[in-house]
Amino acid sequence: MTLILFIVRKLGGAAAAMLTVSFLVYLALEVNVEDVAVKVLGQFSTDAQRAAWLTANGYDDPFFIRYGRWLWSFVTGNWGDSTYYRAPVIDLVPDRLAASGILAGGALLVMVPVGLLAGILAGMRPGSLIDRAVSLLSIVTTSIPDFASAVFLSAVFVFWLNWLPGASTMLSGFSLSEMVLPVLVLAFYSTGYLARVTRASMVEVMGTHYIRTARLKGASPARIVWRHALRNALITPVTVIMLQLPWLLSGVIVVEVFYAYKGFGTLLYDAALNSDIRLVEACAMVSVLVVVATQILSDIAYGWLNPRVSLLEATMGNK
Amino acid sequence: MRTDERQPILKVKNLSVTLPKGSDRPYAVNDVSFDLKPGEILCIVGESGSGKSVLSSALMGAVPEGLKVAGGQVLLEDKDLTRLSERAFRAIRGRDIAMIFQEPMASLNPAMTVADQIEEVFLLHSEFDAAERAKRARALVEAMRLPNPDRILKAYPHQLSGGQCQRVVIAMALAMSPRILIADEPTTALDVTTQAQVLKLIGELRDVHGHGIVFITHDFGVVADIADRVAVMKHGEIVEIGEAKQVLTAPQHPYTQALIAAVPSLDPHDRPAAAEADPVLAVRGLQHSYGALAVLKDIDLSLAPGRVVSIVGESGCGKSTLAKAMIRLIEAKGGRVEVAGTDILALPSKKLEKYRRTIQMIFQDPFGSLNPRRRVGPMIARAARLAGASSTEARRRTEELLDLVGLHKSAYWRKPGAFSGGQRQRIGIARALAMQPDVLIADESVSALDVSVQAQVLALLRDLQERLQLAIVFITHDLRVAAQISDEIVVMQKGEIVERGTAAMVLQAPSHPYTKTLLEAAPGRSTF
Amino acid sequence: MRKFLSPYLSSPITVIGGLLSLGWLLVALLAPVLAPYDPIKTLMPLAKPGALNPAGGTFWLGTDMLGRDILSRLIYGARTVVVFATLATLTAYFVGVTLGLAAGYWRGRLDAVLSYFANVVLSFPVLVLYIVIIVVIGSSPFNIILAVTFGSAPAIFRIVRGITIDVASRDYVSAAITQGESAWRIMLFDILPTASGPLAVDFCLRLGYTAITIGTLGFLGLGLPPPTPDWGTMVNEGRGMAIAFPHLVIFPCLAISSLMLGLSLLADGLREVSDAQGRRA
Repeated sequence: MTLILFIVRKLGGAAAAMLTVSFLVYLALEVNVEDVAVKVLGQFSTDAQRAAWLTANGYDDPFFIRYGRWLWSFVTGNWGDSTYYRAPVIDLVPDRLAASGILAGGALLVMVPVGLLAGILAGMRPGSLIDRAVSLLSIVTTSIPDFASAVFLSAVFVFWLNWLPGASTMLSGFSLSEMVLPVLVLAFYSTGYLARVTRASMVEVMGTHYIRTARLKGASPARIVWRHALRNALITPVTVIMLQLPWLLSGVIVVEVFYAYKGFGTLLYDAALNSDIRLVEACAMVSVLVVVATQILSDIAYGWLNPRVSLLEATMGNK
Repeated sequence: MRTDERQPILKVKNLSVTLPKGSDRPYAVNDVSFDLKPGEILCIVGESGSGKSVLSSALMGAVPEGLKVAGGQVLLEDKDLTRLSERAFRAIRGRDIAMIFQEPMASLNPAMTVADQIEEVFLLHSEFDAAERAKRARALVEAMRLPNPDRILKAYPHQLSGGQCQRVVIAMALAMSPRILIADEPTTALDVTTQAQVLKLIGELRDVHGHGIVFITHDFGVVADIADRVAVMKHGEIVEIGEAKQVLTAPQHPYTQALIAAVPSLDPHDRPAAAEADPVLAVRGLQHSYGALAVLKDIDLSLAPGRVVSIVGESGCGKSTLAKAMIRLIEAKGGRVEVAGTDILALPSKKLEKYRRTIQMIFQDPFGSLNPRRRVGPMIARAARLAGASSTEARRRTEELLDLVGLHKSAYWRKPGAFSGGQRQRIGIARALAMQPDVLIADESVSALDVSVQAQVLALLRDLQERLQLAIVFITHDLRVAAQISDEIVVMQKGEIVERGTAAMVLQAPSHPYTKTLLEAAPGRSTF
Repeated sequence: MRKFLSPYLSSPITVIGGLLSLGWLLVALLAPVLAPYDPIKTLMPLAKPGALNPAGGTFWLGTDMLGRDILSRLIYGARTVVVFATLATLTAYFVGVTLGLAAGYWRGRLDAVLSYFANVVLSFPVLVLYIVIIVVIGSSPFNIILAVTFGSAPAIFRIVRGITIDVASRDYVSAAITQGESAWRIMLFDILPTASGPLAVDFCLRLGYTAITIGTLGFLGLGLPPPTPDWGTMVNEGRGMAIAFPHLVIFPCLAISSLMLGLSLLADGLREVSDAQGRRA
């Protein structure tokens, strides 16, 4: 019951956020109708052509009516046509999103085990050799921009060792070897970040009174870590993993462009470069939808891990 | 007494623990020796920094990082615990020696149920199967006289009160019937009535199980209630050790004498008789609530110049909310607070800034109430400036005030970090007085201080109050402190005033049952 | 000064971070002195690193396909990054700190509205946000600063608001209020100085991330218009020929990574010192 109420409330909040975003996106992209006509018909269209197009597509109506109509057609699945791909937007997005999902999933498969393990090992004994190594490494990986790690990894594995392909176009069907580099680049930053967060959380938990209690009960170090520290220490990293997904979405753009991978990132990128406003609108909305959905998931995970927070409270107090 | 003929179970011989390099002294614990007999409660008393907590952790083989056991022995029967390996010590902790702590809530794992945490002790130290472990955990919870054991066992720590948590911690400590129990300030974080119950429980359990208890505390009242023997610590050394009665009534060492003399008495302090005067503070029907929970219900209060009223109650009774509402740090939901005839609560915010001067506050936490980045003199002078003084006048007044509260002139250009807790409280008093207020509110202003410092600050307040004819609202949980300073005492419970009267009346002939409970719970009332 | 610096100098990592950051600042300031060539002048296309310039001198890091000296472009690129990242971060800070202080101090409706908008903006993946903004308003130096401000001010707002709420509940702020001190003086003299430790840490990191953002926009071809020397744009231009001429992309990537690494290490050192001071106070 609480869970249902929780999800209903969260969905309400998400819907409100989506609505705000949709308004801002529409405002930004379509408040200037002349601009819209130029973008749709191209630079070499005549004034008469533009005026006719605007009238035909209802652009003579007031802004709010246009927004309402746009929103309604968006909700009902009519996302308009892409001027660049010359196809309905709604047909383009799902495949590309799935392709990016595979990429992000691969990155998670690398980042979660490696990041958590490194963070826990480092945080168990602050100041130890392994702690200092993990801390330094995670600073290094979080300092290198995605495009630079793509260059470095490609330099090693493509130019120098010649082990992996330098592009991931997947022209001849799905290829695992073409996935390796994009996934590694995506995971590079996030793994270091997750390790840092986990380490900090672990250090904090290991210093609490209840860990001392466990120790003074006669519990062994292994038991202290596994039974007492871990669940408490994982609360923050798990929410971080969830919130990392939107971040992956940003990374996806760079990585896909670099490796010419046909995913959601390149779709948005091409749409932006070609002023394909319907496609930009749809991509922006979809990415916010992904973010909002992961936020709800992360709140549920938080409440599930932390008995101190009932889900109901989690809905009221936004962190 | 009755334990004398028995052999000691714990012998501590010349134990020393070193502090890290660069500390203000080389040893946290220096050459400490004592015995503990079965069934005996040995209280180790000392002020903050005396090394008593380090001593307790050294007995458990778990000194904080950076500290080191440098010499001496801790003999459990004939085994020297200081020479045990970590692995060997693990088998002893929780089985032969167990510990209870100052922060009961924080000492329990927030993500494990009470049952899991108690049963874990059996899991670690016994061969019992799951059913036996559960049965024994339940029996322990019942023995702690916790209401509704089934609910408690399934609960997480945050669903229990502080007193309940402490009982769970005690249950955990007693699970394997250890021979020695080490209790580090186990009641300090609890309310006075809860403290009395927990102390009683600890005494009774000792009578049943006959374990020896090392009880660390700063409170001589608690010592008087529970100790068989007392050791007094100062700067890491035991300066006096002996039978409780003797140490408390005829202390030998000057330090013990000073400490015991500083324990505030429950007898009302002599106060000059009231002069007839119009009240300078009049609170009428003050109300406040958090959501549906009423925390202040129709509070009335009036105070004449030169008089002190204490507001006494346990945590959650609304006394701090009352203070904040009177000084308009929170907006009350209803009522009036008149200071020198002006209703503070009705003033629009621009005008309020001018009237703020008339009612000032001394805060509880000497470390949180002074901005660590600002120098003391300018901070006080700023208060004087806000009260309307010119900058030269403010400077002069600040110097006077520093002198008045007993601080050296050199304090002017120093930052709060350079001062001790008691000195900071003096700075806070000077800052409040710099505004030349009509009414002063002291919110638990001496609670965070060691007893000897507390006595000095109380004396200072009393002296200033008489000299400047201040009207003071003194908020405290401690009846002893209230007895030392008040003309009048008001007792609060659950947002209501349940009793009010002159200090003598309330302390010596209380009429409300709650006041009687509070008085009975005051630790050490038969001795001090 | 010595006393002020000593806690920072005790950690070699902080010193390395400080030197790297300071080094790039100096490179940016002294660009005209340090750069061997004019960064936008065509000299000799696609020279390998270390190749000799027939007109005298050496192309230490080679030249790009338009024949411009890469070392000189890197050096002037430092100037671009330092100027734009600093300007954008400072504007974002101005907006974020002002609104964060106000929202955290007064709470209430103002806070609710500002927090709601901050959350909405933050729920955009940053790069998507920048791309949308740049698509709408076009790519110019001013617009990039505007986009970055819009994108990072909400995050700063959140941090400042959180700290303000925490500090405002402390007794010394209560004391100032009960003395009738004005709100802006309390924010400026009591709250902001307390927040300065964590904010300094955040500033270093955010400066770095802004540099990365500008670089990433350049990499995507949405950055500063050519021929401004910009590290990200250099990677973008050299990408197509990277297999044959890796020097086109590797050096600008090393440059931006080392700058960010310097700032991260510096932030880490600042955080440790500020944590230690927090524990002592």
